[in-house]
Amino acid sequence: MNTALLLVVLVAVAYGAAHIAFQWLGRRLLIVSGAEYLLLGILLGPSVSGLVSAESLRSFLPFMTLALGWMGAMVGMRLYLPGMVRLRGVFYRVAFAQSMITLIGVTAASLIMFRGLFGVTADYALVPSLVLGAIATCSAQDAVQFIIARLGRSSVVVRQMEVAVGMDSVIGIITVGVVLCFNHVAAPTLPRSPTPVEWMVISGALGVIGGMLFHLFLGEERDPDRLFISLGGAIVFMTGAATFLQLSPILPGMLMGVILVNTSRNRQEIEDALHRVERPLYFVLLLCGGALWTPGRSAWLIPVVGFLVARWFFKVAGARIAARLNGMLPVLGANWGRALLGQGGIALAIGFNYLSENNAYFPNIVFTAAVASVLLTDAFSARLMRHAVDASPWKRASGETAVVAAAGPTDPGLPVDSVEQA
Amino acid sequence: MRRIIILLLLLGVMQLISLVAPYGGAGRSLLVFGFLILAAYSVGELAKQLHLPKIVGYLAAGMVFGPSALNVVRAEAVSNLAPVSDLAIALIAFLAGAELEWGELRRRGLALLRLTGTELAVTFLTIFAVLVLMREWVPFLAGLNWTTVLTFSALFASIAIVHSPAVTMALLTETGARGPLARTTLGVVLLADVVVVIVFSSMLTLARVLVPSGTGGVGSIASVAWEIGGAIPIGAALGLVVALYLRFVRAELFLFAILVTFFGLEISRLLHVETLLMLIVTGFVAETLAPGRMGEALRRAMERSAAPVFVVFFALAGAKVDVSLLLQVWPLVIPIALARLAGIWSGVRLGTRWARIRPEEGRLVWMGLVSQAGVAIGLVTVAGNAYPAAGGDMRTMLLSLIAVNETMGAILFRRALLKAGEVHGGNAKAPEQALAEPEPAPG
Repeated sequence: MNTALLLVVLVAVAYGAAHIAFQWLGRRLLIVSGAEYLLLGILLGPSVSGLVSAESLRSFLPFMTLALGWMGAMVGMRLYLPGMVRLRGVFYRVAFAQSMITLIGVTAASLIMFRGLFGVTADYALVPSLVLGAIATCSAQDAVQFIIARLGRSSVVVRQMEVAVGMDSVIGIITVGVVLCFNHVAAPTLPRSPTPVEWMVISGALGVIGGMLFHLFLGEERDPDRLFISLGGAIVFMTGAATFLQLSPILPGMLMGVILVNTSRNRQEIEDALHRVERPLYFVLLLCGGALWTPGRSAWLIPVVGFLVARWFFKVAGARIAARLNGMLPVLGANWGRALLGQGGIALAIGFNYLSENNAYFPNIVFTAAVASVLLTDAFSARLMRHAVDASPWKRASGETAVVAAAGPTDPGLPVDSVEQA
Repeated sequence: MRRIIILLLLLGVMQLISLVAPYGGAGRSLLVFGFLILAAYSVGELAKQLHLPKIVGYLAAGMVFGPSALNVVRAEAVSNLAPVSDLAIALIAFLAGAELEWGELRRRGLALLRLTGTELAVTFLTIFAVLVLMREWVPFLAGLNWTTVLTFSALFASIAIVHSPAVTMALLTETGARGPLARTTLGVVLLADVVVVIVFSSMLTLARVLVPSGTGGVGSIASVAWEIGGAIPIGAALGLVVALYLRFVRAELFLFAILVTFFGLEISRLLHVETLLMLIVTGFVAETLAPGRMGEALRRAMERSAAPVFVVFFALAGAKVDVSLLLQVWPLVIPIALARLAGIWSGVRLGTRWARIRPEEGRLVWMGLVSQAGVAIGLVTVAGNAYPAAGGDMRTMLLSLIAVNETMGAILFRRALLKAGEVHGGNAKAPEQALAEPEPAPG
């Protein structure tokens, strides 16, 4: 039988089987669908069965790159400022603190690991360490949506998780965007190459100016098909521009999303249009990301295991410290950080983004760490969140996941009187 | 107007980025692709305001920004985006197949076959006769012996009779037309597609015997038979798989629609069967065997993905048109285009009578059969490869003819649908709906 035909049949059968199996598991065991595609990609890719050739994978590169910009825009679309300011500041302080502790902690641990294992200088090890830190910061967006769909948004713990996951994505995206500006290759076409700060300005301008131009371009359009075409064109254009400039397309994508959601009257329609291909593009990223995975020549097992351990430690410890510093420990519990262990798609996007860089150091190790982390944690991310909600003191005190507003300002043990500001 | 100004600004941004960008690669293709989508969309909306079909706008955008005019979208980018066009053709074929209904085929199959056969035969003979009469002025016929003139004329005519399922589907999606004219035209276009592939393959086999080109062996009858005959069971098998998916899984229809078309395309390439025919059969079988309303749900999912696909497909088709070449050969192309038009018109008149289709139903069908696009371009490439020497001139003339018919055909079909009063759904408003809408408040 022809190998390519075998591949077609295999992918079709595997797609159906994986989907059916995970639908069933998802319903019964709170498993979020996604990691199975990554596993499928690894099995089909050149490193395992070789059924998908490297050449075939190259033809999918534009789609994978597009997925990065699209995912960035989706993150940006969640940052609707009038909605955000209604939430109490303590949620953001806790989320920001735990994100930064994870970022700094994992970056430092990776730096020590790279220097110790490979004997490289700090300059050389800093870039991959920061990217690993950015990956470690990210948490599973799908899982929090899954939990919100089941429990609602009004619980303090769930709301804190939602804010933390959003903050994690923003910090991760900004970090990788800035790191790639500092690690930028010289532009041979110019008499003087732009400095890292200038690349950062260019990266930001792509998102902001792009967002403003496309806000005008989209206008008051509400027809789903026309909106989808013009929005699709805008994201393809912006992603292409960022990739052409060797910058991260996730950051300009996110900025564009922020501008669009905060300036457009038709933001719900824009969000719906973006959602239409979010999952297909994410699956393409998972499948091709898995297929692209190669163990690499350098010893990757110890750094990857080290990364997983460091991430687990700093996520849990960082979340605990952040909650303690802001007086939220009695509400969230000591182990609420476990809810953020699910890795999510943005981590894989950052890993792939770094892998496709021209002058990346240890790209295979970074990408392997992202793949391993997604594989190990993504499927169980919703379950981890559910456990964290159930184990939280607030949940135990109220007996069930009741609304905080109902708990009222006099409810003992609650440092916040409600989720939203008066 | 606002969109055109933004488009010009984006053009400026592209030029700036090209100056600063360190390397090319996938980023450049994406950038150009994004610009092409936005440009085609904007010009399409402009065309709509001028009461023209949107696809004329998409084509115009492709021509203006393509390699032969402003060269914003370079030839390299157009070839890089070829997989998008292939995927578009596959999606269009699946959608077209899904539009066919088993009951209608049983009821009107013979009538459609008669109408299609007559129309194709008359058009073929008309173009063939015109070419033979004009042989002294046609570059690839001038000064050749009679056998070669007759053979090349027949080969040319077998490509020139092709219709365009893509334009037909795009117009039906845009206007939402589903009336008798729309269904008859779609039926003829799809049937003609199968017949033309058989006619062209037979003609090419015959041509290679009569006028050997020295570029490889004669395609055997068995291989032609497999290309056509094999497409039906393979398409049916894929359609069955789709129907089973719709029965047992029922999830991620949008993603599944894309996967099906992608796999269908790959399978047809691997098994050397006719892609369009195979996917038409797949769409038809899937829609017919799907449980309950799942077939309709899949079709809707595909239609949702088809709107941007049409934009890209026609913009790329426009970018492939060589405007300067068209200007060189127009004195020859216009008479052939008019002869083709006359052939289609008279063929439909005769066919309608033979098939006993009601005159009011068949009267405007000819206007929906003028367009040409992807299939014709594919056949031109095959003919050009078979005859590298004469094929160059033949290719030039045929591509120019396709460019004219692609644009004119879309305009004519839209007019026909409007005349028949079938433009109610889609993006167009029903007359009653338009009347019901309140006048905008002053100020």
